[in-house]
Amino acid sequence: MNLVGCSVVENREITPGNFLLTLKVPRGFARPEPGQFVHLRVSPESEPLLRRPYSLEGFVERGKIRAVRIYYSVVGRGSRVLASQPKGQELDLIGPLGLGFTPRPRRAPILVAGGRGVAPLLFFARRLREKKRPFLFLFGARSARELYGVREIRGGRIHLATDDGSVGYHGSVLDLLKQQWEAGEHTRLTAEIFTCGPHGLLHEVAAFAGELGIRCEASLEGPMACAVGACRGCPVPLLSGADGDGGRYPAMCIEGPVMDATIVDWERLP
Amino acid sequence: MTPSPSLTVRVGSLTLRNPVLVASGIIGYGIEYERLVDLSAIGGIVTKTVTRHARAGNPPPRVVETPAGMLNSIGIENPGLEGFLELKVPILRELPCAVIVSVEGEDVREFCELVEGVSGSGVAHAIEVNISCPNVGPHGLRYSTDADMAREVMSAIRPLTRLPLIAKLTPNVTRIAEIAVACESCGADAVSLVNTFVGMAVDSRTRKPILGTVVGGLSGPAIKPLALAKVWEVVQAVDVPVIGMGGITHPRDAIEFLLVGSTAVQVGTALFSNPELAEACVAEIEAYARRAEVPSVADLIGALDVPAERGMIRAGKIL
Repeated sequence: MNLVGCSVVENREITPGNFLLTLKVPRGFARPEPGQFVHLRVSPESEPLLRRPYSLEGFVERGKIRAVRIYYSVVGRGSRVLASQPKGQELDLIGPLGLGFTPRPRRAPILVAGGRGVAPLLFFARRLREKKRPFLFLFGARSARELYGVREIRGGRIHLATDDGSVGYHGSVLDLLKQQWEAGEHTRLTAEIFTCGPHGLLHEVAAFAGELGIRCEASLEGPMACAVGACRGCPVPLLSGADGDGGRYPAMCIEGPVMDATIVDWERLP
Repeated sequence: MTPSPSLTVRVGSLTLRNPVLVASGIIGYGIEYERLVDLSAIGGIVTKTVTRHARAGNPPPRVVETPAGMLNSIGIENPGLEGFLELKVPILRELPCAVIVSVEGEDVREFCELVEGVSGSGVAHAIEVNISCPNVGPHGLRYSTDADMAREVMSAIRPLTRLPLIAKLTPNVTRIAEIAVACESCGADAVSLVNTFVGMAVDSRTRKPILGTVVGGLSGPAIKPLALAKVWEVVQAVDVPVIGMGGITHPRDAIEFLLVGSTAVQVGTALFSNPELAEACVAEIEAYARRAEVPSVADLIGALDVPAERGMIRAGKIL
């Protein structure tokens, strides 16, 4: 982890309100793991005051050039300011930060993505492909046009779900997951789930996994101030008795953002 | 070329190599920021506040950004005195800067146990007595909003240590100078201010408060003018050194606190955005002193040019 300068290579609106940002980083920036994030200063000005944490959608290395990619939606002040940063703009970021996905050997990974939560799972799928590990990728969004990145997924089987039925399964990605599971190809001993998306979806996936005893990791999202474990501003509530201590709040920034989904108290996580 | 100005300042018996500290609650125990902040370049750090018993902290959300500021309701998540002595003291011992340990008790007895424990650890260069956290329940602001209670705490702990005691004050009072004077009269070697201002953020869409605890403490550039005024008030009321803080975002902000009369400054919230801010403040103070052609930073402390008949404040009253 380091503080490094970066510059905007591309900041493109892919679908209304959804952007792909490519930032050139120096060689001092360590190779990130899928699921890790960067704490980005979204503007050279002092407003907004705080950095914003973004999971990486990808990491590009071409010769001596290194770049990180971020897929984000305009949802508030920080992302709105970020969306206005032109090509060539100098910014800085702290990273790579946090704990990424930790697949176990000899388990079939099932990736469950909801909306823009697909970002770290695209990075993860690319890594699995490099390691020649097959995977199942389930991706749900409101409509076909929000299925960002789906064409670039290689090396695994893909199933899509849309709320409006414009493509793939007509319904939620959770129901798609249940349907796939009921096909009986996998058991709790042969597969594991990795998920990212709205916390409501993650809660449901975690409940499904918990019930069947399937190992499940979720990538969480939330406001952070320091992002290095110092300020304790990003607590993750755990289920009582989980991890040996229900009264403890792990910091999302250093004990996450990817965590065991079955010990998170989703009711108390905003 | 003129010789480098001296940057050392004294807070009680503690000599700081320069007047820039990182505030409590910002940098943990130093090690978290090891790769981002050059601790050997700054005066020192103030640790996360240690309480008598471990605290899990408040439920989320604990931070929210507001215009030019940040509201927090962390709730002093920390491992308690025993955990501090076992887990944090070995880390702090290795830091290449002054270590000021922040403590907060729920009552006078706990303050005493904390001061004895921290003092006995040998790791602290000074103790900041946090009588001003707004995030620890109904008792939180008791000791620094009532001069008698501030006296009670300071009198009880003063005989227990030879370390400099720095009373950290809340700005959430009508007359902060009265509290500062009370602490000084009971043996405080310095006062530090301001802690956060009590604040609140509301989501009109959900009709809910944004922070898990409804209200929290406001920090960041939004509070700098408020903080400067509080420091200005206290500086004129006490003779002990004042450590000023509140919203330092640019290096020149640190100069402003010195001119108003702070012997040292603490940087806080803006460090999250700019981890190099504390180092930049040191560089700016040195450059400013050089430009002003003064031999020592001490010559800048309280050097604000105020017309003689204006601006005198004692105990909150403009004379």
